[in-house]
Amino acid sequence: MLKVRKKIRTLSIEEYSLLHAVDFRHRVETSILPALWAGKTVLADRYLFTALARDAARGLDLDWLLHAYSPLLWPDLVIYFSMTPEDSRRRIASTRAPHFYEAGQDVTGIDDPLASYGRFIDRVVTEYENLSVVFQFVTVDAGDAVYRQHTRVRELVEKAEKRPWSTFSEDAVEEWLTKSNTQDA
Amino acid sequence: MADKVKYPGRLIAVDGSRGKDIVAAAAGLVDALRRERIECAVSRWDASGLFTDMAAGGHVDRNVSIRTLSLVYAADLAFRLRWEIRPALEAGAVVVAAPYIDTAVALGSTCGLDDEWLRLLMRFAPVPDFRGLAQERKVDKAWKRRADRGYAEYVAMMLATAAPKHASKAARRRMMELLDRTRGRKLFHLSNKGIGQLQKALIDSRKGASRQSASRPRNERK
Repeated sequence: MLKVRKKIRTLSIEEYSLLHAVDFRHRVETSILPALWAGKTVLADRYLFTALARDAARGLDLDWLLHAYSPLLWPDLVIYFSMTPEDSRRRIASTRAPHFYEAGQDVTGIDDPLASYGRFIDRVVTEYENLSVVFQFVTVDAGDAVYRQHTRVRELVEKAEKRPWSTFSEDAVEEWLTKSNTQDA
Repeated sequence: MADKVKYPGRLIAVDGSRGKDIVAAAAGLVDALRRERIECAVSRWDASGLFTDMAAGGHVDRNVSIRTLSLVYAADLAFRLRWEIRPALEAGAVVVAAPYIDTAVALGSTCGLDDEWLRLLMRFAPVPDFRGLAQERKVDKAWKRRADRGYAEYVAMMLATAAPKHASKAARRRMMELLDRTRGRKLFHLSNKGIGQLQKALIDSRKGASRQSASRPRNERK
């Protein structure tokens, strides 16, 4: 649903955000929570905070975004690979042209994808930085050598403890359990 | 992001528990308005095709929750606002949105969601000028589980396996009760008489607006 609409570039800011919220909710209910309930560790390569940063950079209100994504399932550990906007722009320019929404062309109105990306990534990084303070991300320098990042991530995961904020996820778990029980009955 | 813009047009929300009744009520209202030479546009559920795509696509396992479906409804509503409702309101037309927010809120609440969550989720949509309630038929029956009738029937189909009680007769009765609450604003029951009353209220409001614009300078208008 989302891919087709992205391809034909028909999404408004709200539609873009809400369709990602649909996708996120479906993933939480059908993949993440069942795996957690079975005692597995879930590694989410981009999670809720990516959506929050990206949509807030598009001008949506963070309160409304948190509301749309609620009940929230808080992770025990959030690793934020931090990078300057300049590095991000340089890296993407060396490999490919960014896609329309990735470059934020829907909000910048700039025809050149790379120029648009340059403008948009500034806002996204600012939002990430704000979120990292509010939600206590653990930051890893993405400009560092890959093996150092790898070592650091291993250390972080090994030392990770359940954060007290995981108790805030009760609503999400309860709702999912109710749904699952009804289904099993 | 709440839509607080005052549009020159008028927005009429038509809600109900059954797709066919909502369509019939909207059609009756539009006919009556057009007889009075009032131009109106109709905005219907699934204009974006999201629900159709979802039914036709990879969700045949029906492993979807009411929360996910409510998010899809909000996305569809955002689409309708952008392409159908706001342009017509800006052009000064009357828009009949059938269904609008109350249908999704009442159905979501019936299925166990917090109605405050639903209202806040859809706060980007403008508050309707008039609220109409479709005349309900077959009130003692549960919804038909179909993808092509209306939002409630669609939800009943999607939740039939996962949560059959949300597709029951009792659920429909509960939804009708929730829809019938006025929430401090006049609710027009769209029988022939109700359509007439709504039509009159609409004409009066337009007269009021034109009187206001003629007598007050532009910069003093709210």
